[in-house]
Amino acid sequence: MLLELKSVQKRFGGVTALRNGNLSVRAGEVHLLMGENGAGKSTMMKIVAGMQGYDGGEMLFEGRPVRFNSPKEAAASGIAMVHQESLLAPHLTVGENIFLGREEAGPLGILKRSAMMERAAKLIESHGFPLKADWRVDRLSPAGRQLVEICRAIASGTSLLIFDEPTSSLSESETKEVFAIVSKLKEKGAGVIYITHRLEELRSVGDRVTVLRDGATVHTGELKDLTRAQLIQHMVGRDLGALYSRNPIPPGKPLLEIKNLNRSRLLHDISLTVRAGEIVGIAGLMGAGRTELCRAVFGIDAVESGSIAVDGQPLPLSSPRDAVAAGIALIPEDRQKTGLATQLPVGWNLTLSSLGAHSRAGVLDSAKLAATEKQYIDRLRIKTDGPSQRSARLSGGNQQKIVIAKWVAQGARVFLFDEPTRGIDVGAKTEVFEVMDSLAKQGAAILMVSSELTELIQVADRILVMRQGRISGELPGRTTQEKIMALAAFEQEEAPQ
Amino acid sequence: MIQRLLPFATLIVLFVSLCFVPNFLSETNLSSVIRQTAVINIMALGMTMVIITSGIDLSVGAILAMGGLIGTMAMEHGQPIPVGIAVGILTGAFCGFVNGFLTTRLRINSFIVTLGTLGIIRGLTLVISNGLPVHKIPPGFSYLGEGTFIGVPFVLWVLLACGALVHFILEHTKLGRYSFAIGSNPDAAFYAGIPVSFHMTCVYAICGALTGLAGMIEASRLMTGQPTAGQGYELQAIAAVVIGGGSLRGGEGSVLGTLVGALIMGLLSNGSDLLGISPYWQQAIIGAIIILAVSVDELRKRRSV
Repeated sequence: MLLELKSVQKRFGGVTALRNGNLSVRAGEVHLLMGENGAGKSTMMKIVAGMQGYDGGEMLFEGRPVRFNSPKEAAASGIAMVHQESLLAPHLTVGENIFLGREEAGPLGILKRSAMMERAAKLIESHGFPLKADWRVDRLSPAGRQLVEICRAIASGTSLLIFDEPTSSLSESETKEVFAIVSKLKEKGAGVIYITHRLEELRSVGDRVTVLRDGATVHTGELKDLTRAQLIQHMVGRDLGALYSRNPIPPGKPLLEIKNLNRSRLLHDISLTVRAGEIVGIAGLMGAGRTELCRAVFGIDAVESGSIAVDGQPLPLSSPRDAVAAGIALIPEDRQKTGLATQLPVGWNLTLSSLGAHSRAGVLDSAKLAATEKQYIDRLRIKTDGPSQRSARLSGGNQQKIVIAKWVAQGARVFLFDEPTRGIDVGAKTEVFEVMDSLAKQGAAILMVSSELTELIQVADRILVMRQGRISGELPGRTTQEKIMALAAFEQEEAPQ
Repeated sequence: MIQRLLPFATLIVLFVSLCFVPNFLSETNLSSVIRQTAVINIMALGMTMVIITSGIDLSVGAILAMGGLIGTMAMEHGQPIPVGIAVGILTGAFCGFVNGFLTTRLRINSFIVTLGTLGIIRGLTLVISNGLPVHKIPPGFSYLGEGTFIGVPFVLWVLLACGALVHFILEHTKLGRYSFAIGSNPDAAFYAGIPVSFHMTCVYAICGALTGLAGMIEASRLMTGQPTAGQGYELQAIAAVVIGGGSLRGGEGSVLGTLVGALIMGLLSNGSDLLGISPYWQQAIIGAIIILAVSVDELRKRRSV
């Protein structure tokens, strides 16, 4: 056995990211790692690659117990990771990137340039990659960069290579190229761990598969013995619990209408309608284009074609200001980065989008502002010392309520919730759902993106599933996790019977 | 909280210790401190707004010269004093507008934009004046910088009026609120539907206008329109804001803090003059104070988060 993880645990503060991670990888095999978003796949691989430590359990590499304190230590043992996002220096050449951080140098730190370039060229040639050592990295396609990442990883004789979902940004032919390389590495006797959401594409290269769910290994076995339905069952099957249950109301007129939205590689022909009083869920795996859809509707990213109308009125779609003016609100997934000005007071954030209504000739009406601030702190039960408290000091759930209240105060009618419960504890989640429900009951149209299938099933009236930038299917609200996962992870024509 | 009050405490300690220095409390000395610091102080008020939006304006020294020059030239050509002053202010506002326009439309870092306009404006000032100062100014103009009103220097009233205005903008207008939001988190401001470019351009224009006024005060004190005036003032203005608690990362800063910051620098330099400390040392001391002030502020923030 090349690599073995036995009940490995990892906590971040109070959150357990990995509670029972088991994995065994043989030399000369391609081992797939699968699971829902947040199941613990990336955490597990970061531990193996030395980017994170672990709090409990045991890791054995080539039979010896190991604990890597840095990626450098892992690399010294022959473990390397090809990352999802490119970690290359774009202005340097392919060769320079391959040896970045471990340059060969003579005395006084003078680089042995030609020797390195020669080694890089040899490495590229031996694998038959369509690259040249002296090409600049910023001229390469995403696939080309991925190849450079791979070269970097294998330059120093790697015996275990980890791919973190490398094909999500690649085109079909580029994906095939990557698979060919994976097969080649396998033939040379290296172990390969491959995190993926695209099982079908990997049937040909994969040998065994390990499935993680909620931070624990739930299945390991031969890939060929496993049917798709079984695999899905392993991946989902989370307990629904008695989290929340919503009584939908009959929807009114269409408020948000999206027609044939296209953005190269990211969104393909998206059409959907959300009616007043309706909560429509958007499911999909990482990189399916859910956030991109929200950003496009909110006017942040330009689209190539398609139209968006609010209450029958087409939108110009050129900036968030247009979207806001039309009554669209975005509650973004990264609250700290784009939702809130965290150093500013709670009250300021609450009224940031409605200052126009709270001022005359640009001069703020302090009394009116104070009244609005108090009204929404009470109405959404935001737990704070008062409107002048710094927003950063509030809990995630209360911060999220500020972001929502900001838009309610502004008078928005179409709400785009992108991962509304991320980083929020369970009790606050229910409160967020209650707010969403009351908004819908007051006639708002709500689009809810979530990676938490159980939440979608509980909250949404119907669920649209996205896969690789397309809507791959629509399901009623009270559906099963298996059905969502089948649409989210697999080719449509092969949908289970 | 204690550390937030540090600039005030420093100012008070500095003032009290200077009271033991002979001549410090004399009326002539105190009013000269006020007159000397007023120019930097008014510029620093505009700089406060720019820094709150997490921008910076390196061209204020050049704008000061341009405002002073064009304003005095207007008077030289027979315009009455108030019109001349207005021309100076408007010239500054226009320069600031250009800074804001370039920063927001070309999406270039304000440091680079204003480094460029610093050179352009200074160069144009020299071209327009042919490098020669404007001397033919009506004598009454000296009242702006040297006059006395109700027993204190007239510039103090101007400074207080500007301080009140900027304070009002920052605390009681949309523009001020947006400035904090933009500086604190530009993405969140953009996502909130705020017209970011428009408001940032306004902030730069206001900074320019205040600098134009400072340029007129400088010209009034010298009774010449000097094309070379204001060299290095930008750094003093930035220093005043930073000592007063403004953060170059944006989202923080106040009128009161900036006034205190500018006064600390003014008192330090006046005190060293009175004590006969070489002006060479003064520069080194101010430099050390800047680093000290910022590191104390960083320490406070790291603890409070």
